[in-house]
Amino acid sequence: MIQFVFPLFGRFHPILVHLPIGILLFGIILVFLSRKGQNTHLASIRLAFLFGGMAGVLSSVSGFLQYRYEGFTWDSVQFHFFLGLATTATAFWLYYELGKKEDFPSFFKAKSAALVALLMFTGHLGGNITHGETYLIEPLPAGMQQLLGYETGENTGPKLPAEGWEELAYYEHVVQPILNQNCKSCHNAKNHKGELDLSSYEALLQGGEDGSILSGGDAEASALFARLVLPKEDEDHMPPKDKRQLQKEEIELIRAWIALGGKTESKLGEADISVETLEPFMEKTEAPFYPSAEVPPLADETLKKLKTDGFFAETVDKESAWLMVSCVNYGQFADADWTKLKPASDQIAYLDLSGTQVTDQILDSIQSLPNLTVLKLNETDISGEKLSALQSNPNLKNLYLNKTQVSLPQLKALQNHPNLAKVFVFDTPASADESGGVFSFLLEKGNYRLPPLPTDTIVY
Amino acid sequence: MKNLEKLLSELQVQKLQTQTRRHFLRDCVSKVGGLALAPLLFGCEIGKDGQAKTGLNLSERDLNPLAPLPPPFAGKAKSIIYLHMAGAPSQLELFDFKPELAKLHDQDCPESLLEGRKFAFIRGVPKMLGPQATFSQHGQSGAWVSDYLPHFSKVVDEVAFLKAMHTDQFNHGPAQLFMQTGSPRLGRPSLGSWVTYGLGTVNQNLPGFVVLTSGGKTPDAGKSVWGSGFLPSVYQGVQCRSKGDPVLYLEDPSGMSRDLKKNVISAINQANQEDFESIGDPEILARINQFEMAYRMQIEVPEVMNINDEPEYIHQLYGTQPGEESFANNCLLARKLVEKGVRVVQLYDWGWDTHGTDKDGSIDMGLRNKCRQIDRPMSALLLDLKQRGLLEDTLVVWGGEFGRTPMQENREGKVQGFKGRDHHTDAFTMWVAGGGVRKGASYGITDDFGFSGVDERTSVHDLHATLLHLMGFDHEKFTYDFQGRPFRLTDVEGELIRKIIA
Repeated sequence: MIQFVFPLFGRFHPILVHLPIGILLFGIILVFLSRKGQNTHLASIRLAFLFGGMAGVLSSVSGFLQYRYEGFTWDSVQFHFFLGLATTATAFWLYYELGKKEDFPSFFKAKSAALVALLMFTGHLGGNITHGETYLIEPLPAGMQQLLGYETGENTGPKLPAEGWEELAYYEHVVQPILNQNCKSCHNAKNHKGELDLSSYEALLQGGEDGSILSGGDAEASALFARLVLPKEDEDHMPPKDKRQLQKEEIELIRAWIALGGKTESKLGEADISVETLEPFMEKTEAPFYPSAEVPPLADETLKKLKTDGFFAETVDKESAWLMVSCVNYGQFADADWTKLKPASDQIAYLDLSGTQVTDQILDSIQSLPNLTVLKLNETDISGEKLSALQSNPNLKNLYLNKTQVSLPQLKALQNHPNLAKVFVFDTPASADESGGVFSFLLEKGNYRLPPLPTDTIVY
Repeated sequence: MKNLEKLLSELQVQKLQTQTRRHFLRDCVSKVGGLALAPLLFGCEIGKDGQAKTGLNLSERDLNPLAPLPPPFAGKAKSIIYLHMAGAPSQLELFDFKPELAKLHDQDCPESLLEGRKFAFIRGVPKMLGPQATFSQHGQSGAWVSDYLPHFSKVVDEVAFLKAMHTDQFNHGPAQLFMQTGSPRLGRPSLGSWVTYGLGTVNQNLPGFVVLTSGGKTPDAGKSVWGSGFLPSVYQGVQCRSKGDPVLYLEDPSGMSRDLKKNVISAINQANQEDFESIGDPEILARINQFEMAYRMQIEVPEVMNINDEPEYIHQLYGTQPGEESFANNCLLARKLVEKGVRVVQLYDWGWDTHGTDKDGSIDMGLRNKCRQIDRPMSALLLDLKQRGLLEDTLVVWGGEFGRTPMQENREGKVQGFKGRDHHTDAFTMWVAGGGVRKGASYGITDDFGFSGVDERTSVHDLHATLLHLMGFDHEKFTYDFQGRPFRLTDVEGELIRKIIA
């Protein structure tokens, strides 16, 4: 017979299995609908068990062919297969029992119920093979999954520390996690497509149906790498084009590992890879912009009060307690109005008093904001005399003094502030001061110019 | 009373008209079960405070739709200035340097590029057109910029380039809609509307979303590119006039004092408020807010929209010409507006559609002239924002709605009188700068002709996802319920472009 027929028929298994399920269930429903002594459905039930049994034969045969041609291991399919045969046999037995009798045999409902159980369990095992054993578990909440004894960790690929990665085992910390995330769902101990198992180094060394996939030191000759870089349209390209594709950094890491010899002992630091290649997998330990201290959120009434007083007042995000306060619509704000802000002293992390009537005195009040991170005093009468007061705001990072009277020497008062990173002094005596000086923070003086160019006036 | 009943029944009819299959299906699932459960779980809603609820559950936000809201997470950026070059500038003359393309100049386009492709105007086999500009690398980042943008080449270290952007629309209108609303069809809210809806406005005397146009025309897609779609119309962009008074009738007419005006407006608003309480149509609230906003704008707008008081060196920096309609003036206004707490400023500059059908539309002459108009202003904008510290939390976005072909356009199969390029969807360059953007980054690589992206391609949805992220939104969770399902700016797509995020 033509060679393709068997594998093709095997691939019809996922469709054919629904026939016995449907037909037999229909028969069984009729069994349960029939009252004692009432046998109007008897002929239909016999027919259903006959056809159900025949459909069971088709399913079993196609299932066996699929096992033979599609790279499933016997271990993973055996129970499903035998239960399928048992279901088929039971269907025929019940058909035989009904015979040509005028009434139901004894315990027939119980026997039918047993058939339902067989049918369901067989179907479930089949589903486990195609969809994975955790298919029905995954949608459950994490807590319920743990209750059922499942691990909830996901295959998320490599996770590397920003420092000390050089000493990590290349295979264990990089290669295997990449394989787990991208390959293992089809190439594992149970379901090994192409007779390949990528769930461990030992299994990887076994190779697949075309032999070894790893030739240490030569990435191009190793199918493990070569198939990744085939054009996506090529049928040998891996992963299949409708699956998640590897990032180019992941491919590069596989290449470098094979080039290094393809061994488990190699350290990540020995490989010829750039830090940029590893960067996407490094856990960012970026310090949050606002202080990490915890303060209780401002009471709703207090926040409302600030708003009715004329401030713009909002938390920096929905979860945070840190408060942003601005006087953008409150130009009359003056030193004496500070009392209105007092209830929020602990929460204010961003304060914009630009364009208000405040004077140097306000810096004394601002001192009392322990968590202040951004302070804007643009276009105010700040003379710069009391800037040293800001040394008492340990969390201050960005300070805006544009269009004030601040001078360069006065800024020395902020020298060696623990967190101050940027100070903006555009359009002040300080920005016009050319004398320079080294500061512990970035000083933005501005005064940018774009000198005229001869081409500016040419019109074609 | 009779009138009220009439109105209520009309409201009922209108409500039913907006019911869709999706509502029905959803209600079938949730309401039937809910009917049985509700009394058990919650007791009876009616009678709690002595009277039946009208069904209107109004929050503070409903009564003041532009009230500020905190973002879901602390975004790096608080406002956006979006510079849209309507008509689509040629990436091949500005940022995407393709020396290989020069070698193919005037040769027939390889079949492989044309196979299965559709172009807006190119028919048959066009000739290749080499880059018409001279390129060199600039700044610490070594970014390639052509001699068309000599000023911009000095600020490249501030920006992150997206060099393999792609879209799926090759006509201006749909492509502009796609770029601004995430959908090539009408009816979706623009990026600016989404942001204003999500964050409200900081300055209560100014609109949250302002639009300014230059270049003599508004975008082909019309005002829908800054429309609010299915969001309440209060979130749409407010277009200010680019010449003369930015907003008409800001000054009190003679004989009308400000107090009298206030009385009139509060009377109208009171009537509208009553109307709203009985009908519950949010558009009435939008109306009330517009009246109030118009009144408040009289305080702030004359000052913020007046560039005459800016010092001379600022005018020189931007190259502004007060009184004229120009991109430079709009850039300066954008800075002033953002400085005063406006969330989104959208600038449209028209005149980038360089097909080569005439001199103004040629890529060696007309395009140079257009570049001259934006080069200094946009570079000045970046520098001015930087020196004021505004670039820390302001996003600046630059780009067209698509790119241009590496081939010379051959409209109607004829050779054009001038050098020009057709619309191209597969590869084009955009840049972003400011709040939370990685400075000096370049993401995306195109093939040797600049025809397609070969690596790190980014879609319009990816860009939107990234912009929303920088503003403090998860684009997958930022939704608005309409016609029975939640809608997103990025629809069902969009991935963060992490490599341009600092």
